[in-house]
Amino acid sequence: MSHPNKRSSSTTTTSSSSSSLTSPPPMKKAKSHSQPDTKNGLHHHTHSDNDDDGRRAQPDNLSRKKAQPPQPGKKQFVIKPFKAKPAVPKNLEEETWEILKSAICAIFLKKPVSCVLEDLYQAVYNLCVHKMGGSLYQRIEKECERHIAAALQSLVGQSPDLVVFLTLVERCWQDLCAQILMIRDIALYLDRTYVKQTPNVRSLWDMGLQLFRKHLSLSSEVEHKIVTGLLRMIEKERLGEAVARTLLNHLSKMFIALGIYSESFEKPFLECSSEFYGTEGVKYMQQSDVPEYLKHVEKRLHEEHERCLLYLDASTRKPLVATAEKQLLERHISAILDKGFTMLMDGNRIEDLQRMYTLFLRVNALESLRQALSSYIRKTGQGMIMDEEKDKDMVSSLLEFKASLDTIWEESFFKNEAFCITIKDAFEYLINLRQNRPAELIAKFLDEKLRAGNKGTSEEELEGTLDKVLVLFRFIQGKDVFEAFYKKDLAKRLLLGKSASIDAEKSMISKLKTECGSQFTNKLEGMFKDIELSKEINESFRQSSQARTKLPSGIELSVHVLTSGYWPTYAPMDVRLPHELNVYQDIFKEFYLSKYSGRRLMWQNSLGHCVLKAEFPKGRKELAVSLFQTVVLMLFNDAEKLSFQDIKDSTSIEDKELRRTLQSLACGKVRVLQKFPKGRDVEDDDSFTFNDTFAAPLYRIKVNAIQMKETVEENTSTTERVFQDRQYQIDAAIVRIMKTRKLLSHTILITELFQQLRFPIKPADLKKRIESLIDREYLERDKNNPQVYNYLA
Amino acid sequence: MKVKILLFWWHAVAAWTWDAQDETCGICRMAFDGCCPDCKLPGDDCPLIWGACNHAFHLHCILKWVNSQTSQAHCPMCRREWQFKG
Ligand SMILES: [Zn+2]
Ligand SMILES: [Zn+2]
Ligand SMILES: [Zn+2]
Repeated sequence: MSHPNKRSSSTTTTSSSSSSLTSPPPMKKAKSHSQPDTKNGLHHHTHSDNDDDGRRAQPDNLSRKKAQPPQPGKKQFVIKPFKAKPAVPKNLEEETWEILKSAICAIFLKKPVSCVLEDLYQAVYNLCVHKMGGSLYQRIEKECERHIAAALQSLVGQSPDLVVFLTLVERCWQDLCAQILMIRDIALYLDRTYVKQTPNVRSLWDMGLQLFRKHLSLSSEVEHKIVTGLLRMIEKERLGEAVARTLLNHLSKMFIALGIYSESFEKPFLECSSEFYGTEGVKYMQQSDVPEYLKHVEKRLHEEHERCLLYLDASTRKPLVATAEKQLLERHISAILDKGFTMLMDGNRIEDLQRMYTLFLRVNALESLRQALSSYIRKTGQGMIMDEEKDKDMVSSLLEFKASLDTIWEESFFKNEAFCITIKDAFEYLINLRQNRPAELIAKFLDEKLRAGNKGTSEEELEGTLDKVLVLFRFIQGKDVFEAFYKKDLAKRLLLGKSASIDAEKSMISKLKTECGSQFTNKLEGMFKDIELSKEINESFRQSSQARTKLPSGIELSVHVLTSGYWPTYAPMDVRLPHELNVYQDIFKEFYLSKYSGRRLMWQNSLGHCVLKAEFPKGRKELAVSLFQTVVLMLFNDAEKLSFQDIKDSTSIEDKELRRTLQSLACGKVRVLQKFPKGRDVEDDDSFTFNDTFAAPLYRIKVNAIQMKETVEENTSTTERVFQDRQYQIDAAIVRIMKTRKLLSHTILITELFQQLRFPIKPADLKKRIESLIDREYLERDKNNPQVYNYLA
Repeated sequence: MKVKILLFWWHAVAAWTWDAQDETCGICRMAFDGCCPDCKLPGDDCPLIWGACNHAFHLHCILKWVNSQTSQAHCPMCRREWQFKG
C-alpha cells in the first residue's frame, strides 16, 4: 500500500476524463516528486485504510479523483505565457478571493462546493499571474488557521473516555489532512510558483501541518489527553487487553507527521515503559521461578519488538527493547543466577539454560553466567571428589557430570569458547583438589574397563569410554601416580591373561602417547614387546634340545620373561616349590642364559599361575589357580590333613601371604579345601583337608581372582614408589640445573624446578631435597650469601 | 576315593637384569638397570657389552668412547687395552 502506487493508479483513471483541462498548465508530474516524505503517513490514511472516511470528509461534488490535477502522460509540458498580458480587472482580487474562500469554507465544513473545479484552478492561476500570489497565500493561511483552530478547539472537553476521545482526534486529524490536501490541489499553481519562488514560505501542505501543530500545542489539554490516552491503551495491551491497534497506529503516525513524535510521545512512553517493567520485574521475580520468569521476559521482549512493527515508529524499537531489557533482566542478573542457575543445571534443563544464555547475551551478562557456571562445577564436583565414601564411583560420576556439561555447552551455550575454557579450568581444579587419589582411581577405572569379563561392552563403546576417561586424565597434574597404578594393573592383565582385548590395550597406549608423548609410554610399550618376545622364546624353548632331553613330561610350561626396567618392581616372595617344578625352572633358565649371555634371570613366583586337573569324588574339574595355591594344594596329594604350621614349613610362603592363600582356597566362594574349625579367617591352630564333597556346576573353575585383587601392601608400595621416584627426579633436576649454571640464587633455582618438574610439589619439599644435596656435597651455600648455591664438581 | 591334583599348565614369570659386576656404567654413570643418556628405554634397546678385561659398559657409551680416542682405546676402568670380549 505504498503511496506512489496508489497515486499512479488513481491518476491513470483521471487522465482520460480530464485531458481537456489545459489551463492552468498541468503539473502533476512535478508535484508527485516535490513532496514525497511529509505526506507519506497521510496518504496512507486518505487513500487506503480509510477510503470511506476520506470520501465522507469531502464535499459531494469534489471526489478525490476530480481533485487530481490533469495527467500529463509522457509528453513534456511547458508553461507558455499568454501572448499579451491581460489587463487587471478592477476588484479582481477581492472577487476572486470570495470564490476561493467560499470553496475553502465549504471544504472545511464538508459542504458542496458551488463552483466547478476548473474555475477554482483558473481563479488561483489568475491571481498568481497578476502577482497576487503572496496575498493569496496569506489569505489561504488565515482562512485555514481559523478552521483548524476551531477543529482543535472542538476537541476540548470532549469525552472523558479516552478511546472515544482518541477516535475523535483520529477523525479530526484525518479530516483536516484530507481538507488541506484538497485546498492544496486547488491552489496547486500557487504552490508551484509563488511558494517555490519565495524563500522561507512553507508549501500549503506544510503550512497546514504547522497550523495543526501550533493549535495542538496551544490547547495543551488536548495534547496531554492524547498522549495519556495512548500510554493508557498501550499499558492495557501489556496487561492483556485487546486494544484498537489501528487507532494507535494512526495517532502515532500523526505525531510523526507533525514532527513531535519523539518529544511529545516517545519520551514519556519510554519513561512509562521503564516504570512499568521496573515494577513488573520486581513483582515477577518474587512470584515465579526462574524458568517461568525467563520465559516471561522473552515474551515481553518479543511483544515490544512487535509493538514497534505494528503501531509505533521503527526508531522506537531500540530504546524500547533496551528499556525492557534493563528493567526485566539487567537489574535481576545476580538474583536470577542465585535463585535459578543451580536448579537448571541440576535438572539438565537444556532449553531453559539456552533461554538464559540468549537473554543474558542481550544485556552483556554472559560473564556473570560464566562465573556462575564455574562455581557450579566446582561446588558440584567437590562433592564427588572429596567424599572418600564415594571413591568407588568418583570416576563414573565425574564422567557423567562432564558429559552432561558438554551437552549443555553444545546445546544451551552455543559452544561459547570462553565457557569451554571455564569447564576445562573447573575440572582441572576439581581433579587436583585431592592429591593422588583421583589419578589412582582413573587408572583403576580403566583397569575395570580393559579387564576380561566386561560382557556387553562393544569395541566402539569401549573406545568411547577410553576417550572420555582420557579427558579427565588430561587434567591431572600428577600423571606419575596414574602411570604407576596403570602400569601395575596392566602388568597383571597381561601376565595373568586377563586383558579383554589386546587391540583395546594398544589403543589406550597410543592415546596416552598422543596425550603425553612417548616418554610417558615407552616402558608401557616395552611391556607389550616383552609379551611378544616371550612367545618366541617359549617356542624355541619347546624345540630346544634341553627341553626335549631333560624335561620330565606332564607339565606344559610357558614363561613370561620381563625386562626389569619396563615392569613394576615386585617385592621378591619366597616359596619352596616341589622338586619337579624346580627342575622345570632350572632347565628353562639354563636354556635362556645360553641364549642371552650376560644376564641374570629371577623367578617372580607370586605372579605365576597354573591350571590344575582335580579328581573330586563328585567329578573332574579344571582349576585356574595361582602358583602359591598350586604349591599348597599339591601338598595334599601326599597327606590327608595338614595344619597351618605344616603348610607354612613345607612351602616357606610368607605368613600373611599364606593366610591369604589358604583363605582363598578354604573360605571363599569356591572351597577346594576344608578348614577345621570353620571360620572366615585363618588361625595358627587351623588344619586343612581336601574338600571331598566339592561340587560345582561348571567344569572350569577360577580360584585365582585373589591374584588380580590389589592388596593394601601393593597399594602402599605403589604410591611410595611414586614419591621415591619424585625425589630422584627432583635431585636429578637440581643437579642438572646447577651443573650448567654453577651458581644460582635459591629463588631462581626453585622457579626453574617448578618449570621442569611435571608433578605437583611444594617449595618446602624442594628445600628438603636441596638440603640433602648439600649434605651429600653436590652443592654448597655461598660463603657470602646464604641465598645462593654453588655447584660442587 | 581320594582327591588327586595334577598340574598340567604352568604360566611362570621371570625377570631378567644385566649380570654386571658394577651397578652403574663407568662412562655415563647411569645405572645398568636404566639406559645410556642417548636412549629412552633400557633392556634390549640399550644393551651392555663386556670387554676382554670383564668390565661392562653400555654398548652406546663404549662405542662413543672408542670412537673419540685418537689412538688405541683403553678400558676407562682398568686402562687395559680395550678389546670386545669374544
Ligand atoms: Zn653408559
Ligand atoms: Zn643407549
Ligand atoms: Zn676394564
